Amino acid sequence: MIAALVQDGWVVSATGLTRVYQRGREQVRALDDVSFNVRRGEFLAIVGPSGAGKTTLLNMVGCMDAPTAGTLELLGKPVQHLTERERTLFRREQVGFVFQHFGLLPTLTVAENIVLPAFFAGRTSGRRLDELLTKVGLDQRRDHRPCELSGGEMQRVAIARALINRPQLLLADEPTGNLDQATGQAIIALFEELNRDGLTIVAVTHNPLLARTAHRQLELSDGRLGLSVSRKEKARGASASG
Amino acid sequence: MTWLQLSFKEWRRRPLRTGVTAGGVAIATAALFSLLAFQRGYREGVRRELDRLGAHVLLAPKGCPYDAASMALHGASWPCYLKQDYLAGVRSVRGVAAAAPVFMAALYDAASTQVVYEGVETNILALKTNWRIKGAFPGQEGVLLAGSETARRLRWQIGQQVQLPGLSGHAAILTGILEPTGGADDTFLYLRLADAQRLFQRPNQLTHILVRLADPNQLDHVVADLRGCDAGLAMNVVPLAHVFHTIQSLVNATRLLLGCIALVALLVAGAGVSNTILMAVAERRREIGVMRALGASRANIFHLLWLETVQVCFTGAAAGVLVAFLASRGVEGWVRASLPFGPTDALIQWDWPIAAACLLSALGLGSLAGFPPAWHAASVPPMTAIRTAGGRG
Repeated sequence: MIAALVQDGWVVSATGLTRVYQRGREQVRALDDVSFNVRRGEFLAIVGPSGAGKTTLLNMVGCMDAPTAGTLELLGKPVQHLTERERTLFRREQVGFVFQHFGLLPTLTVAENIVLPAFFAGRTSGRRLDELLTKVGLDQRRDHRPCELSGGEMQRVAIARALINRPQLLLADEPTGNLDQATGQAIIALFEELNRDGLTIVAVTHNPLLARTAHRQLELSDGRLGLSVSRKEKARGASASG
Repeated sequence: MTWLQLSFKEWRRRPLRTGVTAGGVAIATAALFSLLAFQRGYREGVRRELDRLGAHVLLAPKGCPYDAASMALHGASWPCYLKQDYLAGVRSVRGVAAAAPVFMAALYDAASTQVVYEGVETNILALKTNWRIKGAFPGQEGVLLAGSETARRLRWQIGQQVQLPGLSGHAAILTGILEPTGGADDTFLYLRLADAQRLFQRPNQLTHILVRLADPNQLDHVVADLRGCDAGLAMNVVPLAHVFHTIQSLVNATRLLLGCIALVALLVAGAGVSNTILMAVAERRREIGVMRALGASRANIFHLLWLETVQVCFTGAAAGVLVAFLASRGVEGWVRASLPFGPTDALIQWDWPIAAACLLSALGLGSLAGFPPAWHAASVPPMTAIRTAGGRG
C-alpha cells in the first residue's frame, strides 16, 4: 500500500524542518527551517562541513529523532508525531541503514549479521539472505566473523543487512568514510547498482566521488539548506568551466 | 537464530569476565545448595539412625542423654552400667511392648580398628525389624553374629571359627551375618548377652536398654511411668523423639545464621552480575544503538540483555550445584569433624528439589540483577548508532 502511495511521489518530503537541542543553558539549532523532497528512485547526497547538521537530518529521515518544528513525511506518511514504537516499526520495515563504522556485531557471523533486521521483524529470510550474499559477492564468507573481513567486505555485509527487509529507503552515513579509495569506489558502484534497481538512497558524505555519483546534492551549512545541485547542473557547470 | 542463541553469543566476547561473574554466582549457589542439602541430610540421617535403633525410649546410666544416645547409636565403651535387675521393673511398666537389654563394649583390634561388641537377647529382633540375617541369630554359647561390613573386612564366612578381634585367646563360631543396614549395626559384632557380660567381666550388668512402646503416641505417659518406677530412679530415661527434636532445634538455630550468610553471598553475586552487565552495556552502547536503528524495539533490547543476565546466573548456579555435589564428601568430612553428633549416613546428598530450588533462586536472582542493565540498555536511543561514530555533522 505504501509502495502504491509513493509511486511517482515523494519518498521524503520535509517542510520547515527544525531541530533545537538544549546544551546546558544554551540552545543549539542543529537544523533550521530545512525543506526538501526526495523522489522515489532518487539518489541524494547530503554534503556540508562538520557540524552543518547532516547527521541530525539523517536521524530525522531515519525516524530516529523527531523534529522540534516542521513536518516530515516519509513514504507519504507524516512521521513527526509518531510514537517511539511506531518509529521503530517504520524503521524496521521501510528504512535500511549503512554506517561509516559498519556497525556489525562482532560475535555474529556474516549471515547472522545480515539477517538481524529480519530477526527483529520476526521473519525468516533464508532465500533473501542467499540472494543478498550473491549480490554483494560474499557467498563464500557467510560463516566468517567480522574480524575476518576487510573493510570493504564489512561494508558490503552492512549493505546486505540494510536490504534484508526490502526497505523503500536506504540511508547511508559516510559509507566510504572508513575505506580506502579503491574499496570506496567499489561501494559507490554497488550503491549505483542498487539505485538503478529502483532503490531510493540518501547518503551523507564528504566523498566527492560519491556526491558526484548522486543524482542531486543537498548542501547544508550551519543547519540551513544551501545549494541543491542536480547531476545535470553539475555536468553543465563542469563543461562550462572546462 | 533465536533470542537465546543471540544472547549466548555474547559469552564469546568476554569469556573470562563472564566466567568470573558466573563463578561468583556458582560460589553463592554452592553454599546455598550445601546448606540446604546438609539441613535435609542431617535431619534425615538422624531420623533414619534413630529408626534403625528400633526403640522409642533409651534407658541408660545417669549422665548426658545425648552422649548416651550417641554411644548407643555409634558404639562405644560405656563409663558406667545398669543393673540387669532393672529389666524386670521396666518390662512391668504399662505400654512397654518390648525391652531389649544390651551390653556394649568397644575395643581396638591389631589393625587399630575399633571393634564394637554387643551382647543382646533374641528379643532385640522385636525392635530391629529392618534386620535381615544370613544364617542364624546367636542362640547358644560361643557363637557370633557379625555386621556385614565387619564380616566383609575380616573375610569371615558363616560356619567359620573366628578369633574375636581385640580379645586375644577367645574364639567363636560365626553363625550369621547381618545383611547391610546402612548404619552402624553393619560394623558391630553380636554375642549372646551372657557371653558378652562374661567376656568383659561385667556379670548382670547392662550398658543400656532399648524400649519399644505398644503405642508411640503414649510416649509421654510411658516415659513418666518409667521415671516413676523403682528402677527409673537409677536410670536416665531418654525419649528418642525428644533427642531428635532437640538436635533438630540446635541445627535449626544455626540454619538461620547460615541461611543469612548464603543469602548475602547470593545478593553480592547478583550485584556483581548486574555490575558486569552494566559495564557490558556501556561498552556496547553503539552496538545497541545500531540494533535499535535496525529495528530492534526497546522491549527487544531489554529482552536480550535480561536473557544474558539470566543465562550467566543460571549457568553459574548449575555449575555451583554440580561443584557442591562433587565436593560434598570433603565438605561433609569438614562439617562432621565439628559436629557433636553426626549420623553415620551421608550428610550431603543429591536432592532434586533442593537443586531445583537453587536453580530457581538463581533464575530469580538473574531476573532481578538483569533488570537495571536491561532497562539501561533499552533506553539507549537509536541515534547512538550514528552519534558515537564521531559526532559529526
